[in-house]
Amino acid sequence: MASEVTDAALIARVVVHDDRHAFSELVRRHQSAVRATLRRLTAGNHALADDLAQDTFMLAYRNLKSFRQEARFPTWLYRIATNAFLADARKRKEELLGDRDANLVDDDDNEAPNPEAQGGDHARGAALKLDLERAMAILSDAERAAIVQCYHNDLSHEEAAYVLDCPVGTVKTHILRAKQKLKSRLAAWAPE
Amino acid sequence: MSDRASSPIDRHDDWLERALRDDALVHRAEYLPDDGFTARVMAKLPATLSLPSWRKPAVTALWAAAGIGIALALPGAYADVLREYLRIVAGHPVTLEQIATGVVMLGVASWTAMVWALRRN
Repeated sequence: MASEVTDAALIARVVVHDDRHAFSELVRRHQSAVRATLRRLTAGNHALADDLAQDTFMLAYRNLKSFRQEARFPTWLYRIATNAFLADARKRKEELLGDRDANLVDDDDNEAPNPEAQGGDHARGAALKLDLERAMAILSDAERAAIVQCYHNDLSHEEAAYVLDCPVGTVKTHILRAKQKLKSRLAAWAPE
Repeated sequence: MSDRASSPIDRHDDWLERALRDDALVHRAEYLPDDGFTARVMAKLPATLSLPSWRKPAVTALWAAAGIGIALALPGAYADVLREYLRIVAGHPVTLEQIATGVVMLGVASWTAMVWALRRN
């Protein structure tokens, strides 16, 4: 059965025989994780996330021969996806910053976190989740990437450093700063 | 996530840490249906470089034609040398051992070539 074939075996078939069916199986297996990660990185822009996910798998196909198993295959995909996101973000920086500033003004005016307005625990939890997603948008691209890799993708600092292509210390700094920003932004949710 | 992203400062931010972890759990449990994504990726891959089936016989025929052409174009001196060589070989008395040795060597050469070709493929 296809599900019993390991990623390594599928990769070997793609590299040696240019087996398209094996590559499509790899895409099918990992598309959800890669797209979900990019949705987080793009702060919920699903269309952009899917475009970047396509670019990610195209790059993975072209560079599969250079994959030396120095990391797990999904981690290698996260690295390509994060690089694609950061490159795209650099390209769109001015436009993104403009949009984000506008959104922040709107958020500050109309959608500031208000835990008191929520009812039961379930409603409070859902509201906190929504506010957290919005607050993620105020982080820098690198800070958001560090949070997404370490929390959402459950990578170690070392793995996140590999994905972000930076020293481990830089990852820790990004996380610390991101948490400070989130804490400040979500101060209304802090217990008394 | 585990304790991997935690630092001593995090202990004072339990609510934020818990919120991030809860959000991460939801993220990891979420499965995005393919919805044609894999097909779109596969459609964008560069076309495979496939050679037509008639290519091999055509190349063989071309090489054969070239070989015959070269043989016909050779000056008469080459044909004379070859003819003289064959006459000397034919006039030389050949023993049964020499024939057997020749057959064995031809067999070894054929098998070696076959093994080499199979490994290459």
